[in-house]
Amino acid sequence: MSATAPALEISGLTKSFGTMRALDDVRLVVEAGTVHCVLGENGAGKSTLCHVVGGSLVPDKGVLRLYGTPYAPRRPADALAAGIAMVHQHFSLVPTLTVGENLRLLRLRDLPRRVARVREEYGLEPDLDARVSDLPVGVRQRVEIVKALLREPRLLVLDEPTGVLGPAETDALLATCRRIAAAGHAVVLVTHKLGEAARAGDAATVLRAGRVAGGGPLAELPPERLVPLMIGRPAASLDAGLAGTIGLTEDRPSPGAGASAGPGTGASPETGTSGAERRRGPGALRLSDVGVRRADGSYALDRTSLDVGFGEIVGIAGVEGNGQSELMALLGGALAPDTGRVELAGRDITRAAPRERTRAGLGVVPEDRHREGCVPQLPVAENLFLGRLDRFRRYGVFLDRRAMNHAADAVLTGHGIRSGGPGALMSSLSGGNQQKVVLARELALDPLVCLAAAQPTRGLDIGAVGAVHSRIRQASAKGTAVLVVSSELSELLVLCDRIVVAYRGKLLGPVDPSQPDARERIGALMLGADHPAGSGTEGAGRAAATAPRPVPGDAPRH
Amino acid sequence: MPPPPLPPSAPAPSSAPRAALPRLAPLLGHPVSVGLLAVVLAGTAGLGLVLGAGTTPATAWNALAEGMFGSPYAIGSSLNSAAVLALIATGFTAAHRAGLVNVGGEGQLCAGGLAAAAVGLALPAGVPAVLGVPLVLVAGFAAGAAWAGIAARLRTRRGTSEVITTLLLNFIGVGLVSVAVHEEALLRQPVTSSETLPQSAPLPEGARLPLIGGIESPATAIVVIAALAAVITGVVLRRTAVGLRLRSVGHSPAASARLGLPVARLETGGLAFAGGAAGVAGAGLVAMAPSVLAEHFSSGYGFSGLVVGLLARGSLTAVAAVSLLFGFLTNGGINLQLAAGVPASSVQIVQSLLVLFVAAAMFATTRNRSTS
Repeated sequence: MSATAPALEISGLTKSFGTMRALDDVRLVVEAGTVHCVLGENGAGKSTLCHVVGGSLVPDKGVLRLYGTPYAPRRPADALAAGIAMVHQHFSLVPTLTVGENLRLLRLRDLPRRVARVREEYGLEPDLDARVSDLPVGVRQRVEIVKALLREPRLLVLDEPTGVLGPAETDALLATCRRIAAAGHAVVLVTHKLGEAARAGDAATVLRAGRVAGGGPLAELPPERLVPLMIGRPAASLDAGLAGTIGLTEDRPSPGAGASAGPGTGASPETGTSGAERRRGPGALRLSDVGVRRADGSYALDRTSLDVGFGEIVGIAGVEGNGQSELMALLGGALAPDTGRVELAGRDITRAAPRERTRAGLGVVPEDRHREGCVPQLPVAENLFLGRLDRFRRYGVFLDRRAMNHAADAVLTGHGIRSGGPGALMSSLSGGNQQKVVLARELALDPLVCLAAAQPTRGLDIGAVGAVHSRIRQASAKGTAVLVVSSELSELLVLCDRIVVAYRGKLLGPVDPSQPDARERIGALMLGADHPAGSGTEGAGRAAATAPRPVPGDAPRH
Repeated sequence: MPPPPLPPSAPAPSSAPRAALPRLAPLLGHPVSVGLLAVVLAGTAGLGLVLGAGTTPATAWNALAEGMFGSPYAIGSSLNSAAVLALIATGFTAAHRAGLVNVGGEGQLCAGGLAAAAVGLALPAGVPAVLGVPLVLVAGFAAGAAWAGIAARLRTRRGTSEVITTLLLNFIGVGLVSVAVHEEALLRQPVTSSETLPQSAPLPEGARLPLIGGIESPATAIVVIAALAAVITGVVLRRTAVGLRLRSVGHSPAASARLGLPVARLETGGLAFAGGAAGVAGAGLVAMAPSVLAEHFSSGYGFSGLVVGLLARGSLTAVAAVSLLFGFLTNGGINLQLAAGVPASSVQIVQSLLVLFVAAAMFATTRNRSTS
């Protein structure tokens, strides 16, 4: 490609929503043949920038040039015509169709050849016959990327693509980015994870509050310099958990990632000795022999057992699609298991309705915030108190909105949630603040026996991650059992007392995160490769249960 | 490339909104302005139909106006029509709040009318109105609610679309009325000659709805009942926990279930109330002059009520306004045919055009919102 014309050149880009300036005089140059990272916390304007480049938002001001020619997209079709492919945070797949049918919706000529090309060049091979709704989120994301690559774009824009991917998938994606760049095209990788930027990027631009805070070749920008640009304060002020979520510690298999987390992080069991009076011991949440069959007859959960003790934080690691979603649905009450039982503090809740679970003290932070965690079209106050409206009565019949808003105000302040007040629609909040609302609601349960949170920090900025983690630790310190499902291994390592690994419907492990080789062992378990007897891949989940080492999570129980 | 100024239409949602709406859009999106615009357009089309029928606009208008509010009789029967429509539309709105589309007003109305006739005819001839009227109305409500309850149960237990089931139940409801008034063993009046009409015997005096507008006007208590129903429903939907729960279920059944709301019960309740309201409307039709259950007594009210509900788009103020408009237009249309020779069906065409225009406006205003 010509050295003179950059793949994408943006200058003076400004975009406001109402009084808020999402982008303010943004300048960005992406050279052809490079991977350019756009870094920044959530709400920094990254997504807005993507939407402008992708033609779904028209900027207020600013000039865009694509390979030297002026580029002023009015609609997404313009971007496609110009050879720009976008992969957004939210999927644009038709869930009721198969992958192949979704690809055919693109109406591209000689699709089989293109699919073959993507497979050969990038090693991405989607299962064309799988129905999208049956696929785990991580796989859907891969299909999205395949969709984008099928158009053989000159510029590929990826908006937080790794949020839903496991480590191996992330590696594969980053390698794909490098390949696209090596082919002479350009990749804009929008992320809040520095580790990824360092591994895959050539150059970076850091956005903070809609402005360009800095940038340049990544060779000259080590994480120590990037972090202050991103968050406006030095990197040293981050604790290990936060550093983990932005990928700072991702590259170093540091044995101290968990142990060095410091006091109050609850990373190691002995830090939790301070409160003698709080409830301890096993049995807060107990799953025994829980089995869930998928429609195709395979086991989403294969006679799994798990015990989460009072005051204990148990993490579930693993590549998505190994039963974690079903486990959460099971706990939330959306799914009844085919076999086994679920007990909360000794009480059988296997078939209890969500309302009874809530009453019994099971808080659930669902994986899909928009669909299950909250009602985006309703205000914040309503979202906080929908389950407890009886508390806000006036004259016996009317809803006391004033009292409700008042109570909501207290929660918003107490949890540091930034919003337009209790009356603001949930959908107007940033992802981090939405998650804080969901968490605040679940933590407010009384009694709170157990909190089950799936991907509690996905898509959250660093500050919000810190807030969510400290809330979880506080709850645990009060004796609440906590179950965290996360694809962020670093997060689990600093947060949990014990980590089990979901693999083909089994929970393998546990692994003590304070052990020096915890990361490696979990990585091995994620591939199902922990047991010495593991000869083939078939039946690996079952083999694990009978392996000589006492690895399965149910070993201590039965 | 001069980027046009964008209106700050949305207060900066984090998930970047779709391309801008024109500045008019928020105004256009309001139910009242959508309704007005549709009325103007449909009225223009109506004018064309009048001219096509070879009548001058002035003659047609006079006939229409005469039929709508030319006499206490015209006003009274228009009000009765409007009340029936308003009841059905009110129920539709409540169910729609829970995310359900009730297209079964006609069948529920028939079920209500059937039950009201059965109960009314079973009452002794000298029953006092204080007892008879409430009994008839309650029977109508119960039967309508039960009729809708079938669809609700299929929906919550089996996931069958309530649009399909309520629609199909309409035909059964209409058919049942037809059977009942043809069979002497059921509700048909005693057949004394070949002239005996296939309809029920008249209800006893104490089971008929009292008149509220004096001797001249046929307006009955159904008008008051419909007004009360609309007001109370509006208050419940806006100001109570039940209303909020219904709304939450309508927006997101998954999240509502997670939050511990009894989703199935709320959906069933919403749809059953819609059926009940239509049932009351049916009972009202039976209990007003000529106070018999006859074949086709529903005369399409169930479908017109659905149209009113759709046009009102969730606002009960709009339900009242559109019901009145439709009630008066329907009555005016009859006179239009009688006095001006313009087919009454042209009023139906105008009403249907109204629906089309409103649907188009709804599409235009929702399409521009975030579609993800």
